[in-house]
Amino acid sequence: MRRRPAGGRALITGGQASLALWFALPLVPVALWALASRWNDSQVLPEEWGPAGAGSALADGAAASFATSLALGLTTAALATPAGAMAAYALAFGRLRGERAAALLLLAPVFVPPFVIVMGVNVAFLWLRVPPAVALALVLMVTAIPYTTFVMRAALASYDIGAEEAARTLGASPRGVLRRIRIPMLAGGLAASAFLAFLVGWSDYVLTLLIGGGQLVTVPMRVAAAASGTGNHALVAALSVAAVAPPLLLLLVINRLSVPRTSRPATDADARERADTELTGASA
Amino acid sequence: MRARLLLLPAVVPVVVVLGATLALGGAQSLGLMPVVGEPALNLRAYRAVVASGDLWPAITVSVTVAGAATALALAVGLATALAVRASRVGGRILGALAASTIPIPHVVGAAAIGLLLADTGWLPRLLGLDEGAWPALVAGPWWGAVVLEYAWKESAFVALVVLASLAADTGELMDTAAVLGAGRWARARHILLPLALPGLVTAGAISFIYAVGSFEVPWLLGRSSPEPLSVLAYRLFTSTDLTVRPQALAVAVVTVALSAAIGLAALGLLRRRPVLA
Repeated sequence: MRRRPAGGRALITGGQASLALWFALPLVPVALWALASRWNDSQVLPEEWGPAGAGSALADGAAASFATSLALGLTTAALATPAGAMAAYALAFGRLRGERAAALLLLAPVFVPPFVIVMGVNVAFLWLRVPPAVALALVLMVTAIPYTTFVMRAALASYDIGAEEAARTLGASPRGVLRRIRIPMLAGGLAASAFLAFLVGWSDYVLTLLIGGGQLVTVPMRVAAAASGTGNHALVAALSVAAVAPPLLLLLVINRLSVPRTSRPATDADARERADTELTGASA
Repeated sequence: MRARLLLLPAVVPVVVVLGATLALGGAQSLGLMPVVGEPALNLRAYRAVVASGDLWPAITVSVTVAGAATALALAVGLATALAVRASRVGGRILGALAASTIPIPHVVGAAAIGLLLADTGWLPRLLGLDEGAWPALVAGPWWGAVVLEYAWKESAFVALVVLASLAADTGELMDTAAVLGAGRWARARHILLPLALPGLVTAGAISFIYAVGSFEVPWLLGRSSPEPLSVLAYRLFTSTDLTVRPQALAVAVVTVALSAAIGLAALGLLRRRPVLA
């Protein structure tokens, strides 16, 4: 690292601190309200601490919603991860003629807002009497495919297909190549891709609201209902924590997985950047 | 041949769902599939939603809010990416903090911003401002809380995309430029910015399209009138008056056209991006 004048270093630290404040500040009242049992309007900190919000969330049936959201996230990941991985593999190594068109098509769901998708296709689901859960899984899968496909394309960009050829020359079956070479070597990319797909299902609001028709009540729907209604801030905060904890835990696990444990300091930064690349796209 | 088969599990659902969305959505907006009455090809729904005086304000609000939020997200995101690279320990902490906001659902982001910025929120309490002195950010005339929610969530996304596009051999280029006598600003302007530009365009377009299409954030933090496109479409779609259903689809078609235009413009920009000399 180059040596910097003291003023420059103070500027950098100050900038980093204000940006850290920008990212952390909205989470502070959530954390405080989640732990407050009594908090007067004029006070900066709660007067009494306790899990009041968690209590009213559980009494409200939040546990069932947690299970529903988990099921939606896992279903979306189970459907969109293999589909995206196969498509990315075909785009990377298939020498297809319409490769650009196919890539653009798989990116297209990003350009169509979810509410538009529901309003367009819902008539078809009603005609064909598709059960709401199946219809929802299909639409969530389509919404997640751009992310899974493009994360896997990024992962395949640094993938050495020579290892597959070598294994095949040594007598491995196509199945063996898939199980012993391709999946283990791409595990980091697959994990990041599954995480993003999980996130699409787990965070969805408007698709579940309109397709689920009130039958499926997810954690985000409970957060929205609590935030728009009652004025029960402790409940809003407890539900928000419930909505944030699972994906955050998964993110920690994945970052552990995708950073090689034996890496030297120099390659450690590279690995971190690779993990960042793989998580790109998570926000939309 | 086999490669084409591998594409099918992703391509078929996308084609079926997006194809049905555009075909059935378009047909519904053009009066071909009315819930009540006889089907007839016409532009009545589009005319009605223009005549109601709701469409233009909705477009204006959606585009302005999305534009302001995206501009703020790009500025903060770029600054974050540069700050993450500026020092080892501080950069690592900031990077981890920014990345940890990525998996937060937008509806939770909206709830958090509400708890922070509402009249009785935590920030006015912290600053000791009573209700008169605190600006109406939530449900206020300037859509402040909505813009800040998008900017907060998308700035972390922008930072990650920019960090990824800077990852390559930026360090070597910077060192070479430094050896050749380029100062810090010259290096930022001539190396970092051109390298970050494709990432900024991509992340900016995705953020903008997301903000135009999102429903729950303006619904929770915005004011009830004028409505942005998503909230207007939702109100018309869920109305008990079934004759306005085609109008909801007309608003949806307008939203897709807007999103597609932004997406295509971004793709065009990316294709003619200047190559680093």
